[in-house]
Amino acid sequence: MGTKTLKYKTLIRKLWDSLGVWLIFIVLFILLSLLSDNFLTGSNLLNIVRQISVNGIIALGATLVVMSGEIDLSQGSLAALIGCFCAMLMVRGISPIVAILIALMVGFLIGIIMGVAVAFLKVPSFITTLGMMYSLSGAVLLLTNSQPISGLPESFLVLGRGYLGFIPVPVLITTVVLIVTWFMIKFLPFGRYTLAIGENENAARLSGINVAKTRVLIFAFAGLASALGGIVLASRLSSGQPSSGSDLSLQALAAVFIGNASGKKVTNTIAGALIMGLINNGLNLMEVNASWQKVALGLILIGAVGLDVVRNKNKS
Amino acid sequence: MKSEEHELNDIVLEVVGVSKSFPGVKALNNVSLQIQRGEIHALVGENGAGKSTLMKILSGAYKKDSGQIFIENEVVEIKTPKEAREKGIAIVYQELSQLNRLSVAENIFIGRYKKRFGLINWNLIYKEAEMLLRKLEINIDAYSPVYSLSIAQRQLIEIARAVSMDAKVVIMDEPTSSLTKQEVALLFKIIRELKRQGVSIIYISHKLDEVYELCDRVTVFRDGNLIKTSDIKSLSRQDLIQYMIGRKLQNQYPIRSSSIGDVRISVESISDGYFIDNVSFEVHKGEILGFAGLVGSGRTETMRLIFGADKKKNGKIYIDGKEIQVNCPRDAVENKIAYITEERKVDGLLLNESVRINTSLVSLWQFCKFGILKLKSEKEAVQKYIELLKIVTPSIERKVALLSGGNQQKTVLAKWLLSNAEIVIFDEPTRGIDVGAKYEIYSLIGELAKQGKSIIVVSSELEEVMGISDRIAVMREGKIAAFLTKESFSQATILTHAIGGF
Repeated sequence: MGTKTLKYKTLIRKLWDSLGVWLIFIVLFILLSLLSDNFLTGSNLLNIVRQISVNGIIALGATLVVMSGEIDLSQGSLAALIGCFCAMLMVRGISPIVAILIALMVGFLIGIIMGVAVAFLKVPSFITTLGMMYSLSGAVLLLTNSQPISGLPESFLVLGRGYLGFIPVPVLITTVVLIVTWFMIKFLPFGRYTLAIGENENAARLSGINVAKTRVLIFAFAGLASALGGIVLASRLSSGQPSSGSDLSLQALAAVFIGNASGKKVTNTIAGALIMGLINNGLNLMEVNASWQKVALGLILIGAVGLDVVRNKNKS
Repeated sequence: MKSEEHELNDIVLEVVGVSKSFPGVKALNNVSLQIQRGEIHALVGENGAGKSTLMKILSGAYKKDSGQIFIENEVVEIKTPKEAREKGIAIVYQELSQLNRLSVAENIFIGRYKKRFGLINWNLIYKEAEMLLRKLEINIDAYSPVYSLSIAQRQLIEIARAVSMDAKVVIMDEPTSSLTKQEVALLFKIIRELKRQGVSIIYISHKLDEVYELCDRVTVFRDGNLIKTSDIKSLSRQDLIQYMIGRKLQNQYPIRSSSIGDVRISVESISDGYFIDNVSFEVHKGEILGFAGLVGSGRTETMRLIFGADKKKNGKIYIDGKEIQVNCPRDAVENKIAYITEERKVDGLLLNESVRINTSLVSLWQFCKFGILKLKSEKEAVQKYIELLKIVTPSIERKVALLSGGNQQKTVLAKWLLSNAEIVIFDEPTRGIDVGAKYEIYSLIGELAKQGKSIIVVSSELEEVMGISDRIAVMREGKIAAFLTKESFSQATILTHAIGGF
């Protein structure tokens, strides 16, 4: 019996080594296919990727922040603020494209402000972004009088609700963001510097890397991703919802940490977001009380990170 | 127990035949040592002679490979720092590890808080702390927070803590390195008080003045061997230094002929405002300038100022006669200065990244076209330097954490060679790597000088610094104490300048 469990262990380890966190995704996928008749249908699968798209966009922004050894708690509030801000611009008669560009710029600038606070004032990112989370969530209530902003132009709603062929537009947007993020990490010095700072800030600095500038850019990118996520969300909800940001930051971080448990990769973040999507969808299909979804998600987050810690220990 | 006169040959701690190896280094070779009750026993030797390794074994930080340790004639196994403390061995570190916001009394009794009804009995703790401080004649308020104390006072608190644990042996590693004269006097008074109470002190120091003033006996280490134990009174300074230096080793440095050109870099009275004081020197094209000195003499600090890793307060740096502004490492890199740091794992490498990512990190711009990395040319360049430096790795994608020390060090070198630096600063380039890899690194340093680059080598190994340098700057206490030309290289001369004369 002992040797048998050992065999299973090495098998699991081998699979984890090669597949990483995608292993969890595959296991969940198979499990859900067996447990529910409605799971393995085209429309349901499309539904899952559509549902995770906003989380995916924001989580890709969070990925760089986490890779650089920092954290951003403000993303959800920023997304809500930008979603409402963009909606207000359009309600006031500004064309969707211009409104979106302005809203993205604002998100980018708020990201820069946080980056400057972290990089130059040396306020820990946890504090900076926690503070920003509070300020922004207050700002969005002031801006909107706590009322949803509806009556958005049809053309804007394509972003969150439209299809290109059979593919939902938000899924396309997430894919583009994924490719851009992946490209930055792999092909731009900025991506390398981000990795280097997260791995060993001292070594990075002594290698002549401008750590402060890189930090600012990282937070600016996260701000941009949050803003884009907020805009897509507003489109999906057909309105700017001031309270829509409450859970987004933590969801994005959960996706990053589940995904990157097995190694720092941009694609792993999407695996994390997909795993979260599968859990939600599967438990919905099985008509399990929605509160269990959070319980399961939390346990998987701890389990995935724990699994990797154990694996690394065994290796060394 | 507490007689004023302690019996002679009352051995409290005995080490018998202890050895310890690290990959490629025999750090301690069959060392035997006896510490008598109530004596102050000095340990001296060059950096890396084995003193610290022995102390780390005694305090449970390292495990010995073989040999035995006796405390009061009983064999003991010391596996953790906690066990060492329980058995009566306390160590006062150079770097103090106190909790600054807590009070003196809290720091003394931390982890051993006296409790009453399951709650911490603060009254008792402060009372006991005050008694202890009075007993040792340490004049510090038990209630004051540690951050309000000077370094010396903090050290005294550490000593009080050791005493409160009923330590039989207190180990002090360079305790005076950051103290003023008055503070040293105070420390010595307390040490003598401990001795009077029957506590044994192991006193590690480079400062021979202190050893002669304070200690009863002295033990000399060299290259992991215990060379000599003697009463301090019956050993002259000249003999002591001779024991520390030993005989000459056979030639382990590649022979090279240097052709020295014009001045490349000239450093003019740089200071950091508190320690490094008006350091000036110049390095010519094709020259290797060695920096010798004791640990803590300011060599690394000086290099960090030149490289922009720390802010300098005064001073100027010129390259080829033109003044350059270096405010951060980026500026230094742009002026073609490379700095190969002392602690490659701490600030040289990204351990969890590949050889490729580590090697190209400084020079990514070389592989960029329109701001986008060309991975293929990056790969080729890294591959070239792996071959050039004979880095042993299964692939360029191998995590550097999985390479040996020598290959890790070569990866750091590859990183800086790739940057085409003209001025290369090596800080302890061969620390912790085996003899073969050392020779390769010496050859490489020589090769760089031959190409006309200007080289600075900081090294605490006298053999090494004499073996490869064209000139040597000796530093002492933040200043340059002497420049030596090749004709006047000798271990005795260097040590004399480094220690401050005898």
